[in-house]
Amino acid sequence: MKTVKSMSLYVPGNSIIHRLEPITKLIYVMVAGVLPFILPANPTAVLCLAVTLAMLTISKTLTKVIPLTGFTLLVLLSILFIQGLFHEHNQTFLFRFGPFVFFKEGLSYAARISLRVINLLLGISLLSLTTKPSDLIDSLVRRGLSPKIGYVLSSVLQIIPQMAASVNAITDAQRARGLETEGPLIVRAKAFLPLIGPVIMSSLIQARERAMALEVRGFNANRRKTFLRAANQSSRQTTIRILLILILFAAIVWRIFA
Amino acid sequence: MDKRNIWSFRFTTASLVLIPVAIGINYLGKLFANILKLPLWLDSIGTILASLLAGPIVGAVSGAVNNIIFGLTADPISFVYAISSVAIGLVAGILAAKGWFDSFGKMLMAGLVIGVSVAIVSTPLNIIFWGGQTGNLWGDALFALLMAQGMPMWLASFLNEITVDLPDKLVTVFVSTIIFRRLPHQLLHMYRHDDKIETL
Repeated sequence: MKTVKSMSLYVPGNSIIHRLEPITKLIYVMVAGVLPFILPANPTAVLCLAVTLAMLTISKTLTKVIPLTGFTLLVLLSILFIQGLFHEHNQTFLFRFGPFVFFKEGLSYAARISLRVINLLLGISLLSLTTKPSDLIDSLVRRGLSPKIGYVLSSVLQIIPQMAASVNAITDAQRARGLETEGPLIVRAKAFLPLIGPVIMSSLIQARERAMALEVRGFNANRRKTFLRAANQSSRQTTIRILLILILFAAIVWRIFA
Repeated sequence: MDKRNIWSFRFTTASLVLIPVAIGINYLGKLFANILKLPLWLDSIGTILASLLAGPIVGAVSGAVNNIIFGLTADPISFVYAISSVAIGLVAGILAAKGWFDSFGKMLMAGLVIGVSVAIVSTPLNIIFWGGQTGNLWGDALFALLMAQGMPMWLASFLNEITVDLPDKLVTVFVSTIIFRRLPHQLLHMYRHDDKIETL
């Protein structure tokens, strides 16, 4: 049987960042991602970015970030180009590059956007790279997320690799029956429905069976659910979390009154 | 028996199990579109099917969970567009309850409405995060052209998003409806609250 690639960006490790509770990291990502939007100044974004980069370095996942940012960097480059040339408030001439005239307002606008996006992107990457998705779901459920939603989330992580693994088998089977999957656009478009239709049908029928199986095992029971593994909660992390949330509140208050 | 209200829902076992499958279907849509090199995303077929089967709330939750999981496990940027996915599920579910998926003519209108709604929700996100761009080559080329003409950014950005979204959502709705109509009846009954016998 073909091995199913698991669905996760997690890089195993034992750094202090890896050992932080997932919720702590989640709160950090939210605070660090949102701060540059509340305080719209470049220094905020640079500071948050620096902290995130330091944490990525400590957790030895800095190089793993590169493939995640590739496409975004390309888009940001085009933003720099388009805004530098055509931004609404462009006034101050900055430099000329061949036939293109770049303006200061557009470029600084693009730079601000880029900083915020890279900051957010790296923050989320930090969470994904150092946290097992199942651990994150587990600790969310401990914090009061409905166990049913918890089930839904972990179920997605299992179902997607299974369905993805069936893709090659289906494509080969339909090709063997004479389905054209190459050629002009119209031929390829026609192949879409015969490819995806059967998997959708079978996965929905499987879902029906899974629903029944869960139901007879008391999935809907209103009893308190228990956990397979014990929690490891340290008080120091609570302090970090409270501190992060305080920073966020301080920023909001400062924005409103200053 | 009182009439079925689209907003009255419980997270029944059946509808909860449907959500991961819907997300799987979204993923397959994207995968097959890639394999066939189609110029569309086709990554919301599952969300729309979930809306058709179990109503707007389940569709919306499928959309949200879809982007959260992909944000966490594949592409961090997908977090940002969770709201757009929620809009797809909500709008498709409401239109389905109003009978917009009953004939092919109405279905085209449904695709149109869904496409425009998604563009309305996505445009502010595009402006906040990308200065109005979508990252799609054709859309962004159009955006640059319109900006060069001095068009306001929000309008240029909206047109950018809609050139990308409208064809995609039309085809997505078309595919979802065809599949929905061929589903066996025993499957449809699972998600109907008015059917007392088969409710799980």
